[in-house]
Amino acid sequence: MLDRREASSSGDRVPLSDLFIGFLKVSLCGFGGGLVWARRVVVEQRQWMGEQEFAETLTLCQLMPGPNIVGITVCVGAKLRGAIGAVSAVAGFILLPWTVGLAVGGVVLQYSEIAVLRNILGGLSASAAGLLIGTGLRLLTPHRSRRTALLFAGLAFAGMAFTRLPLTIVLLSLAPISIAVARRESARIR
Amino acid sequence: MNSSSASLVLAAHLAVLSSVSFGGFPTVLPDVHNVAVANGWVTDQEFANFFAVSQVMPGPNMILMMSFLGLKVGGIPGAVASALATFGPPCLMYYLSYRLWDRFRDMPWQRIVRRGLAPLTIGLVIAGGYVMARSAAVGWQSVTITVSAVALNLIAYV
Repeated sequence: MLDRREASSSGDRVPLSDLFIGFLKVSLCGFGGGLVWARRVVVEQRQWMGEQEFAETLTLCQLMPGPNIVGITVCVGAKLRGAIGAVSAVAGFILLPWTVGLAVGGVVLQYSEIAVLRNILGGLSASAAGLLIGTGLRLLTPHRSRRTALLFAGLAFAGMAFTRLPLTIVLLSLAPISIAVARRESARIR
Repeated sequence: MNSSSASLVLAAHLAVLSSVSFGGFPTVLPDVHNVAVANGWVTDQEFANFFAVSQVMPGPNMILMMSFLGLKVGGIPGAVASALATFGPPCLMYYLSYRLWDRFRDMPWQRIVRRGLAPLTIGLVIAGGYVMARSAAVGWQSVTITVSAVALNLIAYV
């Protein structure tokens, strides 16, 4: 983790326009939530963060209020270029897609009762859901050798997917146990 | 209530909700729904349509959805006010908490906390996909689409 931070903070700085365009891409490609493309752009294409750091940042964002994907945008921008970087990234993420989305969506909503349109919306939702599941599975890969990590990922999944508990309850009840287990593990390694 | 004061009421409400929307904005959707319908701004069906359309549009879904609501209530100014109220307060909080988090990055306790929290986050992401898939599943076709999307995402490096 240390070497990655040094690599990105020393030497050439990421231009603000890269942040703007990178998150514009996340926003435009990322139908159904944006997390799929946020990981793809930030981790795979631009390598602004590693797989692990990305997952950790996502955790931080999930603990905070607000749209998590905007949180990722703020954090990546802040990491690379501070406050101005965060503003550039958020501007890229929101400005153009929001304008276009409002215009197109406004028109689509006028015709939302048409059966064909409903089917199209349904098909898009189904594939968006699949992409989200795939992204989660990919985020899990750095942890696949830790059996306890898989267990807690499974518990969190079950808590949200099969119970009607609010997310805060699921997170607040599992987090202390998961952290305690991680603490025991790292104590054993040392 | 005229449209500009209704826009302000909506924006103020959204600003409060976005500041407490732990776990993402969808967690406060029921509350937005109640307020919007109780004030007579939208019908149930309109609200559901806002959700469906914003989910399949590229871009920031929840911000867009709240903007559709704002658009209905107060035209373009209403849409802008709703958008700002939805992402403004959380952005500030994200920024401040990231700085704080980053400052203590190399402390051993933080590494342990991160190790403990990461699996939970990942489980929640997969659950989010699963819940979406379940609500989109109207037959074997949609299940097939979902399963192929999972497979494509795992094998493809686009």
